[in-house]
Amino acid sequence: MDKNFKEEKFTGFTKFTPPLYRQRYQFVKDLVGKYEPKKVADLGCADCTLLCMLKFCSCIEVLAGVDICGSVMKEKMHRLSPLPVDYLQPRERSLTVTLHHGSVAHKDPCMLGFDLVTCLELIEHLEESELKKFPEVVFGFMAPSRVVISTPNSEFNPLLPGVKLFRNPDHKFEWTQLQFQSWALETARCYGYSVEFTGVGHPPRGMENVGFCTQIGVFVKRNPQTSVSTQSEKPTEAVYKTVFKAVYPCLKDEKYLQNAVVGEVIFTAQIIKQSLLKRLMSEHGEYNGDPAERKSKFQPSVSCFSEDLGKLAVEKSMESSVSGNVVYIPLATIFSFPRVNQLCGTFEKLSKLVAGQVTLSNDGSAVMLNTEHEDR
Amino acid sequence: MTGRARARSRGRPPGQEAAISSVGAASVHQAVPVQPPGRHQPRVHPSLSEEPSGHGCQSVPQGQSERRPEGLQISVGFQELSLADRGRRRRDFSDLGVNTRQAMEHVQESKTGTSGVMIKLTTNYFRLTSRPQWALYQYHVSYNPEMEARRLRSALLFQHEELIGKTHAFDGSVLFLPKKLVNKVTEVFSRTRNGEDVKITITLTNDLPPSSPTCLQFYNIIFRRLLKMLNLQQIGRNYYNPNDPISIPNHRLMVWPGFTSSILQYEESIMLCVDVNHKVLRSETVLDFMYSLYYQVEEQRFRDTCAKELIGLIVLTKYNNKTYRVDDIDWDANPQCTFRKSDGSEITYIDYYKRQYNQEITDLNQPVLVSQCRRKGGNMMPGPVVLIPELCFLTGLTEKMRNDFNMMKDLAFHTRLPPEQRQREIGRLVEYIRKDDNVQKELRDWGLSFDSHLLSFTGRVVQGEKILQSGNAFDYNPQFGDWSRETRAAPLICPKPLDNWLLIYTRRNYDTANTLLQNLFKVTPAMGIKMNKATMIEVDDRTEAYLRVLQQSITSDTNIVVCVLSSSRKDKYDAIKKYLCTDCPVPSQCVIARTLSKPQTVMAIATKIALQMNCKMGGELWSVEIPLKQVMVVGIDCYHDTLSGKQSIAGFVSSLNQTMTRWFSRCVVQSRGQELVDGLKACLQTALRDWFKWNKYLPSRIIVYRDGVGDGQLYTLVNYEVPQFLDCLKSVGKDYNPRLTVIVVKKRVNTRFFAESKGALKNPPPGTVVDVEVTRPEWYDFYIVSQAVRNGCVAPTHYNVIYDTSKLKPDHIQRLTYKLCHMYYNWSKYLILFMEMERCSSVYLKASSVAHPDQHTVGSCLRCAFYLSVQ
Repeated sequence: MDKNFKEEKFTGFTKFTPPLYRQRYQFVKDLVGKYEPKKVADLGCADCTLLCMLKFCSCIEVLAGVDICGSVMKEKMHRLSPLPVDYLQPRERSLTVTLHHGSVAHKDPCMLGFDLVTCLELIEHLEESELKKFPEVVFGFMAPSRVVISTPNSEFNPLLPGVKLFRNPDHKFEWTQLQFQSWALETARCYGYSVEFTGVGHPPRGMENVGFCTQIGVFVKRNPQTSVSTQSEKPTEAVYKTVFKAVYPCLKDEKYLQNAVVGEVIFTAQIIKQSLLKRLMSEHGEYNGDPAERKSKFQPSVSCFSEDLGKLAVEKSMESSVSGNVVYIPLATIFSFPRVNQLCGTFEKLSKLVAGQVTLSNDGSAVMLNTEHEDR
Repeated sequence: MTGRARARSRGRPPGQEAAISSVGAASVHQAVPVQPPGRHQPRVHPSLSEEPSGHGCQSVPQGQSERRPEGLQISVGFQELSLADRGRRRRDFSDLGVNTRQAMEHVQESKTGTSGVMIKLTTNYFRLTSRPQWALYQYHVSYNPEMEARRLRSALLFQHEELIGKTHAFDGSVLFLPKKLVNKVTEVFSRTRNGEDVKITITLTNDLPPSSPTCLQFYNIIFRRLLKMLNLQQIGRNYYNPNDPISIPNHRLMVWPGFTSSILQYEESIMLCVDVNHKVLRSETVLDFMYSLYYQVEEQRFRDTCAKELIGLIVLTKYNNKTYRVDDIDWDANPQCTFRKSDGSEITYIDYYKRQYNQEITDLNQPVLVSQCRRKGGNMMPGPVVLIPELCFLTGLTEKMRNDFNMMKDLAFHTRLPPEQRQREIGRLVEYIRKDDNVQKELRDWGLSFDSHLLSFTGRVVQGEKILQSGNAFDYNPQFGDWSRETRAAPLICPKPLDNWLLIYTRRNYDTANTLLQNLFKVTPAMGIKMNKATMIEVDDRTEAYLRVLQQSITSDTNIVVCVLSSSRKDKYDAIKKYLCTDCPVPSQCVIARTLSKPQTVMAIATKIALQMNCKMGGELWSVEIPLKQVMVVGIDCYHDTLSGKQSIAGFVSSLNQTMTRWFSRCVVQSRGQELVDGLKACLQTALRDWFKWNKYLPSRIIVYRDGVGDGQLYTLVNYEVPQFLDCLKSVGKDYNPRLTVIVVKKRVNTRFFAESKGALKNPPPGTVVDVEVTRPEWYDFYIVSQAVRNGCVAPTHYNVIYDTSKLKPDHIQRLTYKLCHMYYNWSKYLILFMEMERCSSVYLKASSVAHPDQHTVGSCLRCAFYLSVQ
């Protein structure tokens, strides 16, 4: 809920760099990078900052946020919408981002089947009754492969200036390391998870026994199969209210794939055409500039496609032909270019996608480009 | 060629806005404006919402107490409703609060003209209606003990929803309500979760009528909120629909249809102006673009070409919703360089983008782009922003693309909507609004609604002008806005002979050159132009060959040089023009061979070329009747040079004779630390001297048409430039006290007019004048439709008389303005702006783009302008 702002209240005094809340986010991001989960949910997502960071992770296909406070979520939820560039360069994998208004004390079927569920600085905001239901909902019902739970370590509080009882007025409790660990171990045992403890925000030198400022438990399901049966046993009704949903454009969608392929095909064809015409011109002796003389100041790096593309284009231009004002570039030649190849996979797919979108020769085997356009 | 380039490079004078700071004009305009690229705008400061925690009191800017993750702050727009009236003068893109009409007594009663024939018009405006007795109530909310966080402040306040109601807008200290609370000061108590009691004092500070400036800001914020609810995507200042893009794969372009909108107080009512807008996006990164350029140009020209093509363009980044203008390319830097983060640590760009956005940079040697951040405050750090080409996508068109006829044709096919279709698209937005329940609810809650129909009213079509040419007067059909047919057989007012002229062509274009020559022989006698056979010179199709021939063949007797070019290759054209403008000033005419390739049009084109040539040699073509005597018309246009950074160039022309066929022209280059207006003053002085030389008296009226004024710069113009003009006039002579009129000309307006004819919508005919309904009550302004277009919708030009001691009736000012629209010689058509402006444009464009290498362009401008003036 208020976890971001409350942190900012005292990051001014303590010397955590980067700020603690960022370290927590980074912790989750690193975890995502390591295990590449496809479906990730953030419980108590507040203003969606974590979700916003995670949407850049290409492995994720489903991203969900849940919070009890709808207005905080709505405040900035639009930053989870696709960016203009997401339309220009659609993702390879799909991505759906959904925000739900609801409580972690309630079960909703939309939360099933997740690979990773994060609860950063959430549990300390729960009333006692909610905290009681929490393990059953998250571990018993949602039963994701991994759960990350973070909460303040009360042993660290004396080191934080200005903190009297709790770090935030909305906190119902703040646990010592022992309190958190025993709760976590009990929960893990109960629902078939193993748990490892870590944290962010190192204590000052010489006070290591205080522990991390934020303590984190990472839960991993022991037997990934077990929960499937339990889920089907107890179908629940939807209780969460969906407040936001964004479906990202992706190349799995034929519409976007076609756009991308057609664009790439025409681009490739034009590059081939250029090198073909250049070659023809130099053969006719009309071309004055000597390409060999080009010294590379702007040295394209080795790993970059374009250098290869240039060479490839020169090679491949041999396969193309000019007739009158028209250059014919075989589709097969274009298909041999890595980017086109990668997008389409098969030649049949390529033919299917460009049909009707690109000017082709009568038998459909070559792309036709007009030389007229070039020099006018 | 330059015509198309012109549209792009049209910029705005810089710097002047610095004098006025603006704060808290709400977050309506936070994103970088996308069009035009060269624009240099004053920024509206982000308001409270940008700062993470709430304010205890107004007007004290609070330091940033929180560091939010960098880059995650997506342009806020109206995601958060934020309103803050910080008590200082508000300034925004609509030039609110600049009230110029009140100083002009003769238009206090009425600023409308009466002449002409009535015409029924509709326009792209919708009335905003509010409930009777509607008002917006502005409250100040304070907390005791003081609460820091805005979220907490909101939470505490909204514990009293039964008091406040469900509809509210709160930014932490300012609360807007659609209803009035019972008491002027209300005190309530809230309890925080840890049991602290907080006294909240809600004090009524303002009772805002629907037309108050704050309310207008508020409407715009609400409206943007609605657009967002409709899932439209914000880019820059406008909103686009990403779901139905038009893809133009041939040019790797993607066009998003969208809307530009604003709500303002107009003559009679508050209205929403909606126009269809298209965003051109490119499905290639800046790096892709650089590579394809690299393979196209010679090595030594690569960096220059890159700079020329890229600087001034707007890019979108892969990782946030911000747009940036490319101001420079840093070739010495690359993604492996490090920068200092806000927390003081050093990090490479590669690591930063990897960590922050999971963006891999694959090309480690690419240069970086530099964008100067123009806004202050908020989360943006001041100073230059470094962008990685690989992570940036281009938007808009490059100069080269604009020169690509085929591409522009393809694009125009999608973006130039004829009146009927345009109206349909505009109607679609209103339809969206009406159909969406959430949007309707929001509007209802605030007690607002929009009319469902476009505004209709009556305009006037002023009488068509007679074209005067060598003692004859010609009527023409204003419907087509072209009198070349009518005047073809008539001699020009002042034909210039072609005694000695060069015609240069390549071998391939030998036939074309001959065709041109023959046709010129056919058309020139009727015009009264005496023409000898040209010296025909064949050249290789290389720039150097052209230049060599020019060097060898031009003599002091050469009247004009005509080059038949085989392509619209900009470099060749530029080189030739540069040589003929600066090194060896001779009038020149370039013709692209293709334009002469169609036998059925070749004669008409030869006619136009002959007219242009005559004009360039200092001849006079035609005129219209100007009834006002002793009036000097001045045209000023400004251009902000994106290439040389902060430089601005202004073109200045002024009439020298009664028929307004002779003109004085000057170009002013503003150097660093110097105000453009100083140069303009000098121009005006010289112009008056020249006028005196020609007429033996000084003009009794001076009418200045001032173009190139950016949105939001009106205040500066009124309060700074106009007094300088007056000063200048005073300095001419003690008893000299001419009447001065200053009219601001704006061609980029969102207003469109449709004429209803037999149930269908058509473009209104040239000569349509609108001075009611959609004009602003605080201005003496009007619109004139001065051209006819074949495709798409005609754009009216907005004229705003900001200073006027001439005491001319509105009718007369309007008629005079329309008359001047006929005086453009380049094509015998009306044009969007009139001749003075256009002449300015061609002067400064040549100055800036062609003669760029030498920065002392004043001299070269003078020379290149010499054929436009008559000294």
